[in-house]
Amino acid sequence: MEIKEVNTKHFWHKVNYPTLYHQCFVKMGNKLNIWFLSSLLISIIVAIPIVTVFSSFFEPTGEYLSIIKNTFLFEYIFNSVTLLIGVLSATFIIGVGCAYLVSFYKFPGSSFFKGALILSFAVPAYIYAYSLTAFFENYGTAFSIMKSLFGEGDYNNYIPKFDGMFGAIISISFSLFGYVYVLTRASFHYQSQNLLELGKNLGFSNKKTFLNIILPASRPAIVAGLSLVAMETLSDFGAVSFFGISTLTTGIYDAWIAFDDLALANRISFFLLIFILGLFVLENFSRKKAQYHSHTRGNFKSKSLKKLTGWKSFFATLFCLIIFFLSFLFPVTQMLYWTLIFPKHFIDLNIIDLLSNTIILVFLSSFLLISLSFISNYGTRINKNKLLDILTTFSITGYAIPGIILAVAFISFVSWFDKNIIYFFDIKPIFIGSIAGLVIVYFVRFYSLANNGLKSGYLKINYSIDESAYLLGYSKLKTFINIHIPYLKNSVLLIGILLSIEIIKELPITLIMRPFNFETFATQAYIFASQDLLEAAAAPSLILILIASVFILITSRYILKDK
Amino acid sequence: MKNNFLEIENVTFAASSKNKVNNVSFNIENEGDIVCLLGPSGIGKTTILRTIAGLEKIHSGKIILKNKTISSKENHVEPEDRNISLAFQDNSLFPHYNVLENINFGVERNRKKKKGLNLKDIVKFLHLENILDKFPHEISSGEAQRASLARSLMSNPDLLLLDEPLSNIDQSFKEEIQVKLKQILKDLKITTIIVTHDSYEAFYLGSKCGIILDGELKQFDDPYNVYHFPNSVDVVNFLNRGILIPAKVTDENTLENDDLGTIKGNFTKHYPKGSKVQLLLQPEDLEHDDKSNLKLEVVDRKFRGTNFIYTLKTNSNLLIPVFVHSHHEHQHEADEKFGIKRPINIDHIVCF
Repeated sequence: MEIKEVNTKHFWHKVNYPTLYHQCFVKMGNKLNIWFLSSLLISIIVAIPIVTVFSSFFEPTGEYLSIIKNTFLFEYIFNSVTLLIGVLSATFIIGVGCAYLVSFYKFPGSSFFKGALILSFAVPAYIYAYSLTAFFENYGTAFSIMKSLFGEGDYNNYIPKFDGMFGAIISISFSLFGYVYVLTRASFHYQSQNLLELGKNLGFSNKKTFLNIILPASRPAIVAGLSLVAMETLSDFGAVSFFGISTLTTGIYDAWIAFDDLALANRISFFLLIFILGLFVLENFSRKKAQYHSHTRGNFKSKSLKKLTGWKSFFATLFCLIIFFLSFLFPVTQMLYWTLIFPKHFIDLNIIDLLSNTIILVFLSSFLLISLSFISNYGTRINKNKLLDILTTFSITGYAIPGIILAVAFISFVSWFDKNIIYFFDIKPIFIGSIAGLVIVYFVRFYSLANNGLKSGYLKINYSIDESAYLLGYSKLKTFINIHIPYLKNSVLLIGILLSIEIIKELPITLIMRPFNFETFATQAYIFASQDLLEAAAAPSLILILIASVFILITSRYILKDK
Repeated sequence: MKNNFLEIENVTFAASSKNKVNNVSFNIENEGDIVCLLGPSGIGKTTILRTIAGLEKIHSGKIILKNKTISSKENHVEPEDRNISLAFQDNSLFPHYNVLENINFGVERNRKKKKGLNLKDIVKFLHLENILDKFPHEISSGEAQRASLARSLMSNPDLLLLDEPLSNIDQSFKEEIQVKLKQILKDLKITTIIVTHDSYEAFYLGSKCGIILDGELKQFDDPYNVYHFPNSVDVVNFLNRGILIPAKVTDENTLENDDLGTIKGNFTKHYPKGSKVQLLLQPEDLEHDDKSNLKLEVVDRKFRGTNFIYTLKTNSNLLIPVFVHSHHEHQHEADEKFGIKRPINIDHIVCF
């Protein structure tokens, strides 16, 4: 019998595999290098929690599932949907309204409000919730003001109460409307002049041009903003738990903490994840459409703003002032007020520890996120592999997944890994209740922020730049070090600041994953607030807002994208 | 046997299935030779340069540089290890470095070889003195192209590849730069392949020219031969410097055309008597003579500085181009009659 020698090296190329398979694996075989492997590994790590949640859907749960099904599940879903509708409506009105005024009109303070309105990003919803309650509660700040103005009286009956679902909607809306504002304003800013001229050519009035041309053209930006708001709302833990609203997110927390049923937590996560992935697809879809409207150097004209006079000018200023006051000044003033009248809490606060803990987390996470995003981006750039593209797209969904799900999924995965793979060595203490575990979950949560930031920086580097470097004798590593890193240093700084803001504000992941007695400003404020010690929560909340505000002001030029 | 400096052996250059140049073979014999590749846009000229530079891999054939195989199906030397420099057509300057720093990337490589390239001379020759501290986004595309050329030159490569190097450069600088570029490349003995669509540039700079058409290298020869002895109708049509007219071979050095009568000259190929052929008639083949009785009708007149090109219509509606020196005592307008000197003698007769 004749034995034919199979040339394995060329065998692959002779088989007519489907294109995708070929691009994923055959090319991978050709390009198995350290950059490719690193990128692959990073993408897999980030994808683990999502896979864990989906895979654990079929695991048996305790009897609590039937209890939850018969009692709370409907409530969780109803509350989540009610909250979502309320927040989306409010953020749409506030975000688009403010964007419209500052983009098209000139009125007293318009330039100031353009930047000032983004300071709302510095106030997390849970701190807003503390302020709202502190101000309107019985014998709260509002009561004290009334008393000092009008003397003793039964004012509690006249002061409205912002608690429960209404309070949660207000808190989350003022904390998140910035997403709608920033994206819609950018869309108005970049499109309007050409479209206004087009409208004039067609004989439209300004109002008709706005309603019939500009607003529909900005729809992708508005939808993108609202999708981000929706994802953040569904992820919110701090504000809803403070107001005692049972949503899917708090349900996950309760299933794990109260019932100690990780599988049930995963099961609820699955429902929430499906909901959020739907929104993510919607957001991605609208963003892709939005690219068609982005300006180019050639055709962009900055528009001249219409000057408002009389009562129109007054109301425009008043509207923006109210929004700025309610979204930023109000919580800051409330927290400052309490910090000043209860200085003992401020003095007792271990600021050095809180600050050093926050800095450690910010530094470690940002370093890890930026370094690995660099490697992943560069790996994807030089390998041009479909598998990597798919994995990268999949892995950046981490930002859309609530922190609480990521934390629970990570714990599930570590427990499974510890039990089934490395059963001879207890790895749980290394990853659960440790800084390492906390940083890894932060990594998964914020990977898309770092990765997409660098990706947009990389998109500006024409590939012929790399090729020029190779042809000047630079290796891939030298090109990376000498060309890419210096070019992207501003992007890295911006990403670092944005990551810092997110990590400083982050609550649920920190709460679940942190080591014993390891507090940040966010967890410290939450702990005081959950013990009904709102006046003690004021100082850490105030410091958190101030640090985040400084970072936001530094990056406002980039966030507003005017220059 | 003397080895060639660069050998391209049966290489299929392909960036995609649509953009392919098949089975290309040509050699550059000596160090310092300049070769120009001509062809229409999108035919794959840039792909050839990218492949030689190592930015694309090959699936058949072999590329040998200085007796070392740098590209073959089995072997691929990485671009950074080839000492081949490619100046891209588009702006490929590093955007975060100024012009001087960009050029210094080339200087750094050259320093290792300690060859006598002078940065000041290159900067002066390419008129870059005033833009050295500017960033790529602050300069024009022509300036960027010159800066990119300077960077490539300063790297002093074994093989320099230039992709449309002067396409964005102002006409006022172009000729001067062409002259100096040729001089520098010769002085420094930098072997160069230039891709261009400007045939005059190719004929001036190249000691050899390759014509790429329809996915293949149609002709590779010295410029004079490419122009005067094109080897196919496709090359004639591409160069667009003459027309093909029907003729009948009447003798070993004579043809007969119905409109122009007898045409004498030396055939580049033998054709049997009585053969019907297509004769290549180039603008300089016919001479103007007001006294001649062979009159053709003027259809168009193009002024080209040193000469006019008249387009003349024959009785059988053929349109024939004819050069006339621009200092000729008078000009002919459209519809006027234009005399052609008889007998018609053409130095070399090219037929298909």
